[in-house]
Amino acid sequence: MPRLARSEWYDLTRDMNWTLAYVTEEQAWPKDLSNGYGVSTEQWWTWDEPYKITYPEYVHNQAGKDASVYAINAVVNRSKLFEQLDPGWKSAIVAHYGAIAVPEYVAGIGEARMGRFGRAAAWRNMATYGTLDETRHGQIQSYFPYTLLDKEPRMDWAHKAFHTNEWGAIAARSLFDDMFTANDAVSTAIQLTFTFETGFTNLQFLGMAADAMGVGDLEFSALISSIQTDEARHAQQGEPTMKILVENGKADVAQKLIDHMFWRSWKVFSLLTGLSMDYYTPLEHRRHSFREFMDELINKQFLDQFRDLGLEKPWYWDDQYQAEQNWLHHAYHLGVWFWRPTVWWNPDAGVSPQERDWLEEKYPGWNDSFGKYWDVITKNVRADATENTLPETLPIVCNMCHIPVCTPAGYNAGFLNSPDPHILDYKGRRYTFCSEPCQWIFEQNPARFQGHESLVDRFLGGQIKPSLHPDFEGGTITTTHLAGVLDYMSVSMEEAGQDATDYAWAFEERDAAGIEAS
Amino acid sequence: MTVATRLRKTSKTWSMFGDVKKKPSPYEVVTGKFHYHFRRDPVPFEMDPDVPLNRWYLKNREGSPFQVDDWEQFRDPHKLTYKEYISLQKSHETYVDGLIDQFEDSNAAEKLDEGWVATLAGLYVPLRFPLHILQMTGLYVAQMAPSSYITNCSNFQAADELRRIQRVAYWTKVLANAHGDHLAQTGSARDPWENDAVWQPLRKVLEEMLIAYDWGEAFTALNLAVKPALDALLNWQFAALAASNNDRLLSQMFTEFQHDSERSQDWTQALTKYALERDPDLSKVLKGWLDVWEPKAHAAVVGLAPLFETAPVPMAAGDVVSEVGRRYTELRSGCGV
Repeated sequence: MPRLARSEWYDLTRDMNWTLAYVTEEQAWPKDLSNGYGVSTEQWWTWDEPYKITYPEYVHNQAGKDASVYAINAVVNRSKLFEQLDPGWKSAIVAHYGAIAVPEYVAGIGEARMGRFGRAAAWRNMATYGTLDETRHGQIQSYFPYTLLDKEPRMDWAHKAFHTNEWGAIAARSLFDDMFTANDAVSTAIQLTFTFETGFTNLQFLGMAADAMGVGDLEFSALISSIQTDEARHAQQGEPTMKILVENGKADVAQKLIDHMFWRSWKVFSLLTGLSMDYYTPLEHRRHSFREFMDELINKQFLDQFRDLGLEKPWYWDDQYQAEQNWLHHAYHLGVWFWRPTVWWNPDAGVSPQERDWLEEKYPGWNDSFGKYWDVITKNVRADATENTLPETLPIVCNMCHIPVCTPAGYNAGFLNSPDPHILDYKGRRYTFCSEPCQWIFEQNPARFQGHESLVDRFLGGQIKPSLHPDFEGGTITTTHLAGVLDYMSVSMEEAGQDATDYAWAFEERDAAGIEAS
Repeated sequence: MTVATRLRKTSKTWSMFGDVKKKPSPYEVVTGKFHYHFRRDPVPFEMDPDVPLNRWYLKNREGSPFQVDDWEQFRDPHKLTYKEYISLQKSHETYVDGLIDQFEDSNAAEKLDEGWVATLAGLYVPLRFPLHILQMTGLYVAQMAPSSYITNCSNFQAADELRRIQRVAYWTKVLANAHGDHLAQTGSARDPWENDAVWQPLRKVLEEMLIAYDWGEAFTALNLAVKPALDALLNWQFAALAASNNDRLLSQMFTEFQHDSERSQDWTQALTKYALERDPDLSKVLKGWLDVWEPKAHAAVVGLAPLFETAPVPMAAGDVVSEVGRRYTELRSGCGV
């Protein structure tokens, strides 16, 4: 091996900051692509990454990681392992691939933007590795589901989801476009690498990896653990960027960027991770509840991190965020299950008697709030009236997070003062929000969002044609008015989500008190 | 409406690929159709239509004159996935580690002629600055490209620049340990880059290339003008100069970097041919850009060539320029422009 230690020469790979002579700074680092927030050029040059790595180290490490993960894929492909997985767990990974694979690939655009428009050479180098990492994550999380296509045709959504107007895809695209593809380099470092990757990917990638091991999904566990090692490295572009903003009197800028993206990330991850952990993962393999993972990884670890950097918890932390952790993902779950034909996976109700006991233990009061809805659903299923458990039209959708507004469920569960959505009339148009922070994000920067149309705006505007199939036939899954919507969402009849266990949960009995057998 | 309860039994490939006759290769499976935002209706990104980045992409990507109906049939001639790129470069880096071991074992840096070290101080030490701009521009082309098939090529190319810079930096430190700490100070690289007349034509073209924001123009300026000229100057002419001045390490190292440059040229030629086959009129677009960028790249080579005359065993500036020109012409004709 070459004799010089990395520390002896590393600085010579990261000092390529120079003064422009033939073009202006505003031309080469335009504000739209790199908002310096008024910090001087020389101050940006002090950007110092906490994690150092050289190119030869990178290719050696990554080759080893890829070799081992692809080897597991090859072994699993020859086995019956996937077929043996719990149906709820399969839904969790089908949802994961659709929501994550392509966004990870295009996160490479955000990284490349920092690699070009980052304001220090050291930063641009880290972002170059980040670009490669995200290429890896996009490719590996496409390849694995691809190898499962014959066993699970819905894996097509790993590649297809972001090309569609499926509502969850709109919500995720809106989040990620706001976060990195349509964001400037400095804000991307705060919002993608610090807020999202340091905070929320831990939830999905560490939390779900733990559950995957329990379930016996060796492939998924190895895959996302391996990805997380890359995330842990390139996420560290956020901290030095934050430090520079804070040291130069721009803590308010950093705070606002975090408050904005933390809330948006919370919404989408309570939808994705919340449902997977608390309803789709088989009961016997749940390591922790979603709430417990949130408490450990976000409410403690991540909060400590931004306090260490001199920032405060977001303004909505106590009143809105803490309250939503008690009910939001339960409401989302109820909605996703009810509107199951509109998602690309098979929602697992996850409310067998034993599972309800677990939910009550982890979320005291669950039976009296959310359990009541499931009592009604259960009765309908048992009475062979599943048509009553299916939607006929669209719910109201939030103009910020693009997830259906669930405020009535939060109100009924005792966590909100009103069941009403938040309404804003702005420049002649009415906007609907699910929460005060979603409205706040909009009002901070209306120009970023005002001309965008939600799924419901499109429906009301005539872009989505309503029901083309009024005929009502009996069957396991029937619905009356959603055909046009499903067409718009590119959800085929074959792909439309169904109950993951064919309603087995509704017929499970328990010894002691519980749902009466009808 | 009834939703069928059974799924079709098999799906041969991604539905987004449409009815493909041939089963896509693993390379295609993980490379094709990832840019959901290209020519998306109504705007690339799920935001207000007028947010700056929507306008930026509509202007510089969808609105570029370098346009064909379908970019998705383009293929990297090397068909590199991330996994294969990393594996390929791991083997190349192992080779360079071996080279460095060999020359460190023989104390090669200490044995270099002081006159040659002076040439290196002027010609070699500042290189990390211009090479870094090639890295930056590679990432710009990548983020703007209309197909993920193109994006990946350009990302790997940018990473190759990082690779070259790091090896240049490593050996700069070795030279500093043997011939004076000043060689490893930032100023020893930045001062000539910012102030020496010989570097200014290169600095000018590179800074100007940074603001060539039309994606087609950025690709043309980088891959059809500036990078091929600079690569020819360094990987061939500088490598030859080093060899004739008994600096076999740098000679072999830059010769090794030519593997990366050839890969860049291969996809550049493939992409250019691809576009011209679909629309021969695009040659006018490319020629228009090359009329701007080629003379600037040429001026950069002419600017640096006199440094080759300072070596103990010199190379005539005119020969340097004509050799670079010859290689450049080869590339350009290989592109069909």
